[in-house]
Amino acid sequence: MVRNPFFKKNRQKNKLRKQERDDFSNELFTEIDANLLNIKKLLDEPSDLIIREFKIGNTDHRCAVVYLAGLTDKMLINTHIIKNIQNALEESENESYRAIDLINQLHNKVLSVGKVEIAISLDKVSNALLSGDTVLIVNGIDHVITIESKEWKDRAIEEPTSEALIRGPRDGFVENIQTNIVLIRRRIRDSNLRIKSYQIGRRSKKDIVVAYIDGIVNPQIVKVVNQRLRSIDLDDAQESGFIEEWIEDNFLSPFPQLSHTERPDKVSADLMQGKVAILLDGTPFVLIAPFTFGNSLQSPEDHYERWIVASLLRILRYIGAFIAVFLPSLYIALVSFHPGLIPSKLAFSIAASREGVPFPAYMEAFLMELTMELLREAGIRLPKPIGQTIGIVGGLVIGEAAVAAGIVSPIMVIIVAVTAVSSFSMPSYSTAFTLRILRFGFMGTAALFGLYGIILGYIMVNIHLVNLKSFGVPYSTPFAPGFSQDWKDLIFRAPITALSKRPEYLQTEDTERIGMTKGRETP
Amino acid sequence: MRPFDYGDEEIGEVEILFIVASYMIAIGVLTLPRQLASTTAFSDGWVSLLIAGSISTFFTWITAKLAARFPNESLFTFASSICSKPIAIVIMLWFTAHYVTITAYETRVIAIIAKQYLFDQTPIEIIALLFLMVVVYAVSGTRVGIIRLNILFLPIILVIAILLMLLDIQYFETKNLTPVFTTNWEGYWNGVKESVFALSGFSGLLFYMKFVKRPKKAPKFAIYGVFIPLGLYLLLYLMAIGVFNADTTSTLVYPTVELAKEAEVPGGFLGRFESLFFTIWIMAIFNTTSLAYDVALLAVYSLFQKVKKITIIFTLTPIIYLIAMFPQDLTEVDKLSKYMDVSIAGLLIFLPSVLLLLAKVRGIKGID
Repeated sequence: MVRNPFFKKNRQKNKLRKQERDDFSNELFTEIDANLLNIKKLLDEPSDLIIREFKIGNTDHRCAVVYLAGLTDKMLINTHIIKNIQNALEESENESYRAIDLINQLHNKVLSVGKVEIAISLDKVSNALLSGDTVLIVNGIDHVITIESKEWKDRAIEEPTSEALIRGPRDGFVENIQTNIVLIRRRIRDSNLRIKSYQIGRRSKKDIVVAYIDGIVNPQIVKVVNQRLRSIDLDDAQESGFIEEWIEDNFLSPFPQLSHTERPDKVSADLMQGKVAILLDGTPFVLIAPFTFGNSLQSPEDHYERWIVASLLRILRYIGAFIAVFLPSLYIALVSFHPGLIPSKLAFSIAASREGVPFPAYMEAFLMELTMELLREAGIRLPKPIGQTIGIVGGLVIGEAAVAAGIVSPIMVIIVAVTAVSSFSMPSYSTAFTLRILRFGFMGTAALFGLYGIILGYIMVNIHLVNLKSFGVPYSTPFAPGFSQDWKDLIFRAPITALSKRPEYLQTEDTERIGMTKGRETP
Repeated sequence: MRPFDYGDEEIGEVEILFIVASYMIAIGVLTLPRQLASTTAFSDGWVSLLIAGSISTFFTWITAKLAARFPNESLFTFASSICSKPIAIVIMLWFTAHYVTITAYETRVIAIIAKQYLFDQTPIEIIALLFLMVVVYAVSGTRVGIIRLNILFLPIILVIAILLMLLDIQYFETKNLTPVFTTNWEGYWNGVKESVFALSGFSGLLFYMKFVKRPKKAPKFAIYGVFIPLGLYLLLYLMAIGVFNADTTSTLVYPTVELAKEAEVPGGFLGRFESLFFTIWIMAIFNTTSLAYDVALLAVYSLFQKVKKITIIFTLTPIIYLIAMFPQDLTEVDKLSKYMDVSIAGLLIFLPSVLLLLAKVRGIKGID
């Protein structure tokens, strides 16, 4: 992994800052008051901190239930924790509980909640509180019980907006990681589905989950993913983008080395192929590693439509990608360097339409492409109903007016429009971004050196691609190094029955996808 | 646990095929029909081509055989054990000089043709420098990266060459090919000499063989690698003769590019095919140049093992650029290629056969 050297300096500073903050100890005391005081002090008595003190059953043992309102399920705390403890444990004259027995009794007989744990440090206590658990402190014991009671308002499962499909499941991930795990589990009822969780963020302590199917995925990929996730040392990761940037192989590359998706069906399909999914709490975007160039033009729909349709659509997308990257630069190169390459009739009509345009072709192209990018960006920022209008109005009006004013030629408007439409046809948003960056790069080289510049640029992009890796997998595979088996699902999509193997380039442990005993039944 | 490797440190035998083929497909394709047409009558050049091809095939096999005898050993180590260290050093220097000059030559020729067919105003120095910079970018990456580039580009190059021939087939006249076998022996021999440069095989294999996974299989695939350019040359030569006839072909500087000029793309999208053809052909020449540069790097590296790769690149690049810019005009560039023919013959025929012979006689074998 490439890392900036200046990260190190920051890390040392942070250590100092933490030491200054730690002016009270991390211990828990046997005295309930001391513990409560420490918790209050640690959190600085926030208004949503609820501390409820009472006695256990009819005994004289004091205890307290501590939780943060809003993060917790009030019903559960009232009926299954407080009520149970108050009603439980009749203590008679002749037998009295020691505090330590009390905890066991509570654990075994009283608390009717699934996940109950013992915490022995103040850090753990605050962590539990802040993640929505309830803390039960009993007087006389220097450890406490944390009881899971997380509940808060969530967005309902909706159709993912960033990856719309005509045919395919309509559910999308939400911000709650538990819901997201459920969405994956419901699709893969395999006992080998592994869900490993971490906490990242030195302050935010977010849950992050690595999911993969043991026995399919190559253990090396899982190892690398885990290694890199463990190296993360951020204060907070608001979105999976933070994770992506931290663990990707080359942060200077314009190519994405992990894919992200909102679609559980895509995640489960990728897990089945032998990839690893990384889920972060608080974002619907799930990361999938590794990612190669071949993946960037594939859509989940390719496998839902019939194979002929899917193959044709894929070829269409490859053409689209080519247009999105090269069309404006080819226009620049042909018009300003090699007009002889254009057939004479077309050359005349281009020349006629460029009559009176005051700029050279590359200026014209840059102006229009820039306007296009601005329109696109503005369309995203604006509220939805206006966003569409600005797209249409801006595109039509500006294009029309620019032509009428004689600033750009009508041909240029056509080229910009076709380019934009092609780049919208990309199934993945991050790939579309890459193509946009490349397009401007190629326009630059074309403006300077014409076709020669374009081909040298193309060679350079290829050099970059063959040297790039995603979690140890070469980015240019399965083109080179070639895995001819995988070409069945690359530019074409062979019939499902013919895709009997898992992708060879992922070097999966289980290679068979289709049972060999029973073939497809044909009537 | 399943091994997780993509041959990042190793070369598969199919890759050997790609390396040899893409190294050989280069400038020669553009000029060879002229050279053959000027030495042989009508379509008799194919005889010379086949002879040159079989020579090249045979000695490529010898080269591969020699290197396969010493698996996982570099040329420098096994050359030292065959014929003492000082001679091995001389061989390394020869390789360095040869491949540095090849790199320079290819760079210069690409600049000349680009100036002729793509733009006439940009100075040749800039065109050459740009090309060399891209090559430098390639060789400063990983070695396996260069090989993967060959795998990516070769199919595109072959497709465009076949497309060129298909588009020209309407102009092909069989009467241009006959009568056959009218050339005298000297003519054939001169044709062979002319073809040697284009069909030189790839002596750099001696270096790459160290990284080959299964060296025993490599000679076979190296030979297949020679067959691809040989077939391509034969087809292009016959095409040029068939379309232009032998006399015209011998006067055209780049007959293959002229073939592209004749081609008409249906649909009326492209007026002239030759610029497109040439643009794609830059990829072929890039492949050759980057391989040549990489071999030069390997040769220097085997002499100075402690020097960093990037340092060698920074030292070699200005030298290459100077050599590329040294010839004043086309005739001097041609003269350079004539000088190199000798070196090519030496590296293709003399060196591998002598080394193999010595190794056999003295019974030196690699550690398996």
